[in-house]
Amino acid sequence: MRGQESASVILSFVPSSFRLTILGLALSLSLPAQSLLDVMREELDRNFAVLKEKSDPPAYFAAYTITDEESRGVSSTMGTLQASSNNRSRLLDVTVRVGTPKLDNYHKLPGENPRFTSASQVTVEDTVPALRRALWLETDRTYRAGAQRLIKIKTNASVNVAQQDNSDDFSTETATKASIEVPLLKWDAAHWEGVARKMSAGFQKYPGVLASSVGITVQREVKYFVNTEGTKLRHGRTFARVVLVARGKASDGMDLATSETFESQDTEGLPAEETLLEAVAHAGKNLEALLKAPVVDPYIGPAILSGRASGVFFHEIFGHRIEGHRQKDESEGQTFTKSLNEAILPPFLSVVFDPTKHRIGGVDLNGWYDYDDEGVKARRVPLVENGILKTFLLSRAPVKGFPQSNGHGRKSPGLEVVSRQSNLLVESTRTVTNAKLRQMLIDEVKRQGKPYGLYFDAITGGYTTTSRRGLQAFKVIPLVVYRVYADGRPDELVRGADIVGTPLASFAKILATSDKAEVFNGYCGAESGNVPVAAVSPAILVSELEIQKTDQSQDRPPLLPRPVEESAK
Amino acid sequence: MKRTLACLLLVAAVAAAQKDEKKPPEDVILQAMQDEIARSRSIKIPNLTDAPYYIEYGLDDFEGLTLSATLGGLMQVQRTHVRIPRVEVRVGDYKFDNTNYLFSDMFRHSGMEGDRMPLDDDPLAIRTHFWLATDGAFKGAVDSISRKRSALKNVAAPETLNDFARAQPVKILLPVKRIPADEAAWTKKAKTLSAAFLDYPAVLNSGVEFQWSQVASYYANSEGTSLRYPDNLVDVRIRATGQAPDGTPIHDHAEFFGHVFLDLASEDRMMKSAQQVGANVTALAAAPVAETYAGPVLFEAQAAAQLLAQMLRGLAPVRKPVNEPGRNIPIPASEFEGREGSRILPEFLDVVDDPTQTEWRGQSLFGNYLVDMEGVKPTPLPLVEKGVLKNFLMTRQPVRGHEGSNGRARLPGNFGAGTAAFGNLFVKAAETSTAPELKKKLLDTISKRGKPYGMLVRKLDFPSSANVEEVRKLYGGEQGPSGRVVSAPLLVYRVYPDGREELVRGLRFRGLTARSLRDITAASDEAFVFDYLENGAPLALSGGGGYVANTTVVAPSLLFDDLELERVDAEWARPPVVPAPPLVSVR
Repeated sequence: MRGQESASVILSFVPSSFRLTILGLALSLSLPAQSLLDVMREELDRNFAVLKEKSDPPAYFAAYTITDEESRGVSSTMGTLQASSNNRSRLLDVTVRVGTPKLDNYHKLPGENPRFTSASQVTVEDTVPALRRALWLETDRTYRAGAQRLIKIKTNASVNVAQQDNSDDFSTETATKASIEVPLLKWDAAHWEGVARKMSAGFQKYPGVLASSVGITVQREVKYFVNTEGTKLRHGRTFARVVLVARGKASDGMDLATSETFESQDTEGLPAEETLLEAVAHAGKNLEALLKAPVVDPYIGPAILSGRASGVFFHEIFGHRIEGHRQKDESEGQTFTKSLNEAILPPFLSVVFDPTKHRIGGVDLNGWYDYDDEGVKARRVPLVENGILKTFLLSRAPVKGFPQSNGHGRKSPGLEVVSRQSNLLVESTRTVTNAKLRQMLIDEVKRQGKPYGLYFDAITGGYTTTSRRGLQAFKVIPLVVYRVYADGRPDELVRGADIVGTPLASFAKILATSDKAEVFNGYCGAESGNVPVAAVSPAILVSELEIQKTDQSQDRPPLLPRPVEESAK
Repeated sequence: MKRTLACLLLVAAVAAAQKDEKKPPEDVILQAMQDEIARSRSIKIPNLTDAPYYIEYGLDDFEGLTLSATLGGLMQVQRTHVRIPRVEVRVGDYKFDNTNYLFSDMFRHSGMEGDRMPLDDDPLAIRTHFWLATDGAFKGAVDSISRKRSALKNVAAPETLNDFARAQPVKILLPVKRIPADEAAWTKKAKTLSAAFLDYPAVLNSGVEFQWSQVASYYANSEGTSLRYPDNLVDVRIRATGQAPDGTPIHDHAEFFGHVFLDLASEDRMMKSAQQVGANVTALAAAPVAETYAGPVLFEAQAAAQLLAQMLRGLAPVRKPVNEPGRNIPIPASEFEGREGSRILPEFLDVVDDPTQTEWRGQSLFGNYLVDMEGVKPTPLPLVEKGVLKNFLMTRQPVRGHEGSNGRARLPGNFGAGTAAFGNLFVKAAETSTAPELKKKLLDTISKRGKPYGMLVRKLDFPSSANVEEVRKLYGGEQGPSGRVVSAPLLVYRVYPDGREELVRGLRFRGLTARSLRDITAASDEAFVFDYLENGAPLALSGGGGYVANTTVVAPSLLFDDLELERVDAEWARPPVVPAPPLVSVR
């Protein structure tokens, strides 16, 4: 037992990384003789020349990305400081493609997600010998891994089996050059520490809140990118985020949490202090109400999803299924692969992905970027027009009928690019007011002879299985759900509901939408890491939605009262 | 019966003592911990009788600065301030509790304690954190003891040892003032040191890491122990890797430690060390691959201390936990178990662990500590006298033949117990030889046995700085009859009859066990001080454990009459396809 544990210590040996750091450099950084991009360019050319000519199998493409990340932040609980952070690091990602664009080391085999890059840390100063060494060693390591996989692929019989999609492994794109200034981080540590303390103290009014925290962070991300086609880019953006979470335990042991997040490009875009304090009160009150709310029974019937809830719904059950690489992976469910130019949504709905949009209705969108992680310029992609599927989200991995990227190749450092979502916008031509939508829900409840319908106010997120082996299903985890009674009784908050269902069936059942779009900002996690995204949607009325009971913990609530109650005695 | 009554009386006394205190607290954090411990004694699950008989809180207020540099460039600076809490709840009694059971650590109920401990000295916020953690730990302990009871019902001859030894309460309240770290100065030093490798083109990868941490350590338990003391560490690590023409990876590192900056070696000495590391990697990359060898081996300089540091880890006994019937778990016993009173070293060697020493012959000792993780003060402990095993390193976990801690709980352990380790380990020789005499003895032995050369080891890869792949290939295979993993020699030389030394590479020990220590035939008159961080991981692999224990081994050079070194046959990737970029500095 002990021996086994020890072995796993060795295998999982990773230096612990407290992301709680400071870079308060009082360094005099002498101006570098060469810019970072120039060093990258030179080393790329030097390495590629050899790997292309003198190695077997030869490389035909290479790219370097250095992601320069800087962040500051503070977190607080019960009016006290938990942590303040100040980080800066640079991470290197190397891509080497071996073989030919027709068949290379990235070739998709069922269920495999090859990874060659490793996010190695490089100097935060433009120290030429150190950077060159790192680029050289990482290129060598990446090339070897790539060459090894290509040889493996070529001897793999499954390549010879006629694949349904025999498009190339890599697209041809024109070279781009740009250097976009990224605003410097603005952070008033004392001010935001004060705000965080004040906000977190706000939870103390709610005895049902067992644990709570407030985090405020800003981040600046600059990406340096060069490839052997001549692309040379410097671009990036800043982020600001407030996250508040309150957690509690119902008397039956069910863990409950309420949370709220605010995203913008910088702290100036964050809501005013009173709005933030209101959000704390809202989360606190909601949690207390949830703790007392009855547990749902499994239910199938009509429901309204609020705009934010609907955004998550679309992101999970629709967005992940129209990512290009899934259409090519034979282990994927490929729900929509053959549905091109066919109706997949009701005719009054259109879906657009637009990473060029920074704001909508005064709200910053989290999913924008200028260039994707393969150096392809971001663009607006109308995916579904009047219910008809027009294209997929595409990286430089072509899909049958789509030889070119549409600027949706994304990833976080250390992982390989796949096609990912950006800002998802649901647009509707069948809109009614919120009041009317509610009336339509009640009418539908009566028509179906049900006692009540459901209203999903807030949803944390969810997950979806797109793999062929998995059930083609999704699950979204609602935070705040109400029963809306047909007989005019007041709405009733319930707890412990999970929405479950299968994607195609759910889409057909959208009856109408509201006339007011809402924004859900967040971070989407998938095989290429966490990427910032947004989903914008009006509220939707669905004729049938299925909910099930959440898996719940059997732990009882704390046995002793809170220390604050003790000391009040 | 008597024992239980005594226990209850003690509880009452502690509770009474705490009620009397109405003065302002000496320390806000300690007071908050004590208050919450006192309140938690009444924790109870309705309709169950299990109650906590022992509660322990620890809190490390950790402030750290870590910075790293490579080839003259700054890689990263990290400043960390975090409070790391520790909660232990034992239910049952000293005789039988929830620990020492195979799944003791598995039923920690995840309460709501996942959040970070507040950094402000706010008693209510600190208590709230401990309240939730205690709730989870208590529920886990109740779960664990009930499962342990049912597991024991099926065991024919259960262990009769007590589960937890009593210990005297200790009170220590030391100032925990902090020295501000001069980040700019240390950044400059790290960059300057790392630039040393610009002169060694054979070095592929190199780096210098500074780690500076100041910890205010707080501890309180329900027996009345309360502690506040500083636990500081400075660590400078210089490392380099290379690759031999046959692909074998090469690495070397040097490390300097101190409790505060002043203990550290001079910058000049560190620079020389960095250059030595660069020179070692360069020389090793060009060195011939050795052949498997059996014969006398001389461990010179720090190599003997590095070897003993590993071999004598076994002086911490291992207790087998209560098992589920029918489940076979291979928990290897200590190599020294049952050998108390027997000879484990040659008669001319004594071993003493003395963590109370701060200095030895003008050199500061790194392995000094005041109190262990269980709040027990260490005293000097003779471990081996005239080659005979006298004592074991003990925590509060009773083992066969021994109950009662001697203050050696230095790392977290398994099944609810701590892991014992030494502090300042002194290996003393009663009969000694000078360095030239030792070498002559080595040469005499080989000529007697008609061997073309003998082996001399000057440095072991301990604590190992090997990467994961190297560890797998070097140590993954069968390592002698006991399966013991011993660090490979890093600097190993063939010594020819004329005294000439030749550096070789690619060897590891074969069949080196505790029994081999009896083959030591001579020791030097000079002793060497070797400082390191013990982390409980195999080879004390750098980064291999979350906790570290500052340790020193002082030992003479040692001559082994007969040891085996075998050639490592592993396949490695070829050197890079593209030639290295130039190492021209910008400056």
